[in-house]
Amino acid sequence: MKGLHGIIFSYEKHNDLRELTDHRMPASVPFAGRYRIIDFILSGMVNAGITDVGVVLHGNYQSLLDHLGTGKDWDLSRSHGGLRLLPPFASEQVRGSNGRFRGKMEALAGVRSYLEGIRQTHVVLADSDLIINIPLQDVYQAHMDSGADITAVCTSDLTETEDATYFRLDGEGRVKETLFPLNNPAGCHRALEIYILSKQLLLELVDECMSQDKVSLRGAVLQAKAGSLHIQSYVWDGYAAQVRTLKSYYLRSMELLDPAIRREIFHPQRPIHTKERNEASTYIDPAGTCCNCLVADGCTIEGTVENSILFRGVSVAKGAEVKNCILMQDVVISRDAVLHHVIADKNVAIMDSRTLMGHDKYPMVIAKDSKV
Amino acid sequence: MKKECIAMLLAGGQGSRLYVLTSNVAKPAVPFGGKYRIIDFPLSNCTNSGIDTVGVLTQYKPLELNSYIGSGQPWDLDRMDGGVHILPPYMQEGDKGTWYKGTANAIYQNIGFVDMYDPDYVVILSGDHIYKMNYGKMVEAHKKAGAACTISVLEVPWSEAPRFGIMAVDEEDNIVEFQEKPKEPKSNLASMGIYVFSWKKLREYLVNDEADPNSSNDFGKNIIPNFLAAGEKMIAYRFDGYWKDVGTLESLWDANMDMLSRGDLDLLEDSWPIYARLPSEPPAFIGKSALVEHSVVTQGCEISGTVLNSVLSHGARVEEGAEVSYSVLMPGVTVKRGAVVRYAILGENCQVEAGAMVGGSPESCDPDKWGVTVLGPGASVGPGETIAPNSMLNRDHKEVSR
Repeated sequence: MKGLHGIIFSYEKHNDLRELTDHRMPASVPFAGRYRIIDFILSGMVNAGITDVGVVLHGNYQSLLDHLGTGKDWDLSRSHGGLRLLPPFASEQVRGSNGRFRGKMEALAGVRSYLEGIRQTHVVLADSDLIINIPLQDVYQAHMDSGADITAVCTSDLTETEDATYFRLDGEGRVKETLFPLNNPAGCHRALEIYILSKQLLLELVDECMSQDKVSLRGAVLQAKAGSLHIQSYVWDGYAAQVRTLKSYYLRSMELLDPAIRREIFHPQRPIHTKERNEASTYIDPAGTCCNCLVADGCTIEGTVENSILFRGVSVAKGAEVKNCILMQDVVISRDAVLHHVIADKNVAIMDSRTLMGHDKYPMVIAKDSKV
Repeated sequence: MKKECIAMLLAGGQGSRLYVLTSNVAKPAVPFGGKYRIIDFPLSNCTNSGIDTVGVLTQYKPLELNSYIGSGQPWDLDRMDGGVHILPPYMQEGDKGTWYKGTANAIYQNIGFVDMYDPDYVVILSGDHIYKMNYGKMVEAHKKAGAACTISVLEVPWSEAPRFGIMAVDEEDNIVEFQEKPKEPKSNLASMGIYVFSWKKLREYLVNDEADPNSSNDFGKNIIPNFLAAGEKMIAYRFDGYWKDVGTLESLWDANMDMLSRGDLDLLEDSWPIYARLPSEPPAFIGKSALVEHSVVTQGCEISGTVLNSVLSHGARVEEGAEVSYSVLMPGVTVKRGAVVRYAILGENCQVEAGAMVGGSPESCDPDKWGVTVLGPGASVGPGETIAPNSMLNRDHKEVSR
């Protein structure tokens, strides 16, 4: 799409993902068997025809860099435009805070020269902790039709979400009030932190916030300017999950075993792209059983696996039992081990006959590269 | 820029013995093993062997193959210098351009391409074999022996030798005689159709062969016998891994089943990866009512029925109450509720409607009349319909005879 430019914020702010974010940012937490969380919004942008995307990096971004590479897996490796990675050292302003920004407006100020160079008239801002498959071209069309200054995507689903932003809307869907934190959000809409506005307005807001030492988009812009700017809501009641705590990570992952939810998130016309890894098909041995599972390629299943999500290259040996688990890339489960409600991070090895039990409400997490 | 060694891959054949499976695509583009197409094997072998320049000679229905190969990126063959190149026949001054008349003529017509890289050695490959092989070692053997031509060979059971091109060798593995499908084989070393030539020599023989009006311009029939007759140094390079020519429906089915047993052909073993170009699809979903045994499943599959001893490619769906056994489902196949598919190959995007019965086990019918049932790409089988073992349907639901 000629008119829209994408900017994704990768954040370390919501840090309730426990061991999963020891070595990586929430954006690059593995999800749904073969993806990283950022793949969903990034693919959404590409599927809407966006050709230029900037990813604002923050904190521990090594694993995100490995994942995104040149952007070729999202068709964003271009001679003109394409994927731009924006490390936090880009400006004087953020240097004082050790390269870490305190809010989106500060992050944007840090890449101001990049913003000036944007070829498109409009910008879509999004977080990288959102699981969604939304046709962003429709949101952009709605933004142009409404003539609003800012269009904010939100949902009427008030599922408890860590550090959520809420909107109170008027009859025409205009945002009258922006609220956070909010203990009782009844009657409000929850922000999905996707915003469309013109490049011009974005630059003005960035400059204004910087001159007043204001750092937060939702505080200094959405909350403070509800009267002077026309902030229009775009209500999306399709599937959307903001993954900010381990509990929601587990719950949202397990939801994928529901075919209706998979149909929404894996829409055939809007495929989710990810870094390709070469792997043969998964083999299921006569000794193994596998039911109600999402299984990526390259796995070898010789044991029993139920209600679980297996990432690429997982092996489950004979006699092992895996129930209600999430096993990430290259996890090895040896003979007769029993795992219930366990999230095993990349390259975890579980030795023979070990028994590990978590709980529905409190899954056990085993950190990357551990050997049990 | 000069390259020591380049590969030329013969991918223009029709593959007529795969019948409906190649009615719209060249044989090298036929899907294999869940994630692959046949051509992934020679292309991945090249890149794993350190050969970064590959000419792919196409002629028969090349469109799908061309778009599959694309820039060559999945095989790391998108290079600044070299990489993979599609080489179709082309027009030449006057009316000299022709279709490729034979395998040797295909290379002859592309002498200009090979000369651009000025290689010392050229590896000639075909696009219908399933195997993992280090061509680099074969080129080393060729260099060490100072040969003009090296042919890779496989020891086959003596009883099967009459089906192959057989190389008789002396005690140093110099080739002394070549027999094409001999009744009385002098050796059990079968040619695998993989040759290494010293380019200067081959170039000379190609030019002479072209000048011979009686030649069929074929490597097996003309070039190799001419090398032998002229007393050029030719050696056999013994290969002892898995190798299968998948030029027939039976051998294609066999090779898929061989892969399942994970013996000599273990694709999950990752020291010699086979690369493929794949669409973005979510992981496979294996449902609550599913039973999957001794089978492979691929991303995009949705399985709620029973799958035994089968290969399911990406996007294949098996609904509740359906049974698929000893079968190969190519990408996008759907088997609906209560349908049964046994001993069959289902081409891309086939639809088997509810309650249909496709194929059957060797015990289910007269053993002499039994064979693998094949549905061409896009074919559909109506609700409750029965398709007998050994039969073959095309896209328009017409029976095709073998």
